[in-house]
Amino acid sequence: MSTDPDTSGLLRSILPPERLDRLFDLCGAHGWKLIAAGAVVGALPPVFGLREGYMMTVLSEMFLFAILALSWDIVGGQTGYPSFGNMAFFGIGGYATAILVKDAAISFPIAMVGAVVAVLVFAAVNGLIVLRLRGHYFAIATLGILLAIQQVTRNLDITGGASGKILFDVPPGIVFYYFFLAVLVVEMAVVYYLTQTRFGFILNAIRDDEGKATAMGFNTTYYKTAAWMLAALFTGLAGGAYGLFNTFLDPQTAYNGAWNVELIAMALMGGTGTVAGPVIGAFGLHTIIEYVESSFVGWQLVLLGAAIIVTVIRFPKGVVGTLRAYANEMDYYERGGMAATDDEEVTTDE
Amino acid sequence: MSNTPETDDDHAATATAADTVLRTEGITKRFGGLTAVNDVDVEVHEGEIVGLIGPNGAGKSTLFNCITGTLTADEGRVTLQGEDVTDWPEYKIARAGLGRMFQETRIFGGMSVRKNLLLAAQEGGADIGGLLRRPDDSLMERTNELLDYVDLGGLADTRAGRLSFGQQKLIEFVMELMAEPDLLLMDEPAGGINPTMLENLIDYIRTANDEEEATIFLIEHNMDFVMEIADRIYVLAHGERIATGTPDEIQHNQHVIDAYLGRE
Repeated sequence: MSTDPDTSGLLRSILPPERLDRLFDLCGAHGWKLIAAGAVVGALPPVFGLREGYMMTVLSEMFLFAILALSWDIVGGQTGYPSFGNMAFFGIGGYATAILVKDAAISFPIAMVGAVVAVLVFAAVNGLIVLRLRGHYFAIATLGILLAIQQVTRNLDITGGASGKILFDVPPGIVFYYFFLAVLVVEMAVVYYLTQTRFGFILNAIRDDEGKATAMGFNTTYYKTAAWMLAALFTGLAGGAYGLFNTFLDPQTAYNGAWNVELIAMALMGGTGTVAGPVIGAFGLHTIIEYVESSFVGWQLVLLGAAIIVTVIRFPKGVVGTLRAYANEMDYYERGGMAATDDEEVTTDE
Repeated sequence: MSNTPETDDDHAATATAADTVLRTEGITKRFGGLTAVNDVDVEVHEGEIVGLIGPNGAGKSTLFNCITGTLTADEGRVTLQGEDVTDWPEYKIARAGLGRMFQETRIFGGMSVRKNLLLAAQEGGADIGGLLRRPDDSLMERTNELLDYVDLGGLADTRAGRLSFGQQKLIEFVMELMAEPDLLLMDEPAGGINPTMLENLIDYIRTANDEEEATIFLIEHNMDFVMEIADRIYVLAHGERIATGTPDEIQHNQHVIDAYLGRE
């Protein structure tokens, strides 16, 4: 267990597990309202005058990373297939939009539709192949695809090769601020809803025991591919907007392997397999990385590595998961659960 | 009497083809030079509890795996409810009405007990509408009923992985009650659980058989258990079917006694 009872005395006095448990129940019962409240709070800064500059960019990037981390978690956390290649969706979305806007002179919204179609087709085709692999093999295969796509992009004329694409006449920053916020809110709502449906249950079942899920009659390839495409959809949308937001796109930026690690770290630290976890992780880690990067240039990657190690060893369930375990610890025994050794007391009818 | 392999089909013969839930014909499965299952015929009829016994390495689990589609038989045919499912993928056979409980007990540890049950319910199926709907009240009620039935009602919202082995076994069983398969394969249901729970499990299986008309085909090493619960028993040794009959007949069958004592 990641919550050590001996060291959490202070926590226990400030926030007893029962109270936290009630808080979780409350959050669970009012998920929609929380998401709506988050949307309103997110929409406020520009209303109060924050319309450009550094803070605006940082907040937009926070939303962007939250989208990426939550998308990763649909497959990595909910379904148990940790991908190191999600940035491939991001890059394809980005390049498709950039090409359509710049070379075909199509307006941004319509170009985004084109980008989404491109990403979904790509995800469907490669999903049917890589999702047959499991565990490490899956992780390596997705990383391989990311690197391959990066190389291909570097050698194509239409993508501008290694020097990339510079994008002029882009919409003002505030457009992207609201775009990323809107995509994030919609994604949170979609994931939150799905976790309550049969589809969401099946994804969790695949994560816990795919063989058993198959034996129960689920064609797991079909569900994994659907989850993969959903993740691709949101990642591709984010990537599509990012090229214009950044006014520049090259293979290094669009298929950024370091970002791929970053978004996995965000999901892990926040808590995989939850709606709030990856978002909290993205906000928290991005803030820290941004601070370290501006004060001690270059050290942010060292910090990232250390943070991942500490998380995986000490808090494998992330912030949300650890708190939830802490809140539920008494629950199990109070409701009649037994330790693994004393199950003879469980069914005592006679 | 069905004391010899040659004349052991009188029970199967009395049943009509219409109520045959499962039939295997000449199932053979080889792993390299080893023939794990050799030309095995079995039949399970509606409402029966049929046992499958045999010494370790007799091919019982391999036969199960050929029936469920986890393995594909090298020769022979598997028919489920009159349909030839020999070459079907595992998930499709399960969807056609075959339920399976595993020897090592497999439930979804990261999910709540209730979600495990909801997942097992077959209604809603695989159509998009069913997948994207939240479980309705009648389904929730059914989960409550079943959990109360096995005295685990208080644990509905607990993570299933926190339950003890015996509790998990019950949950896996209740998931099958939720799914209501045409045929339930159980691999050593009595394995690793204490005597009190074993008594309960016998009751639950009996009740499911009597009241829900569940048809069950089970592998078991616990002889008292299988003799008490099964209507008929098949015996495998070295991949071959050496006997079939009622528990009483099997207990007095010289082939079976020899096989268990290691005589050929």
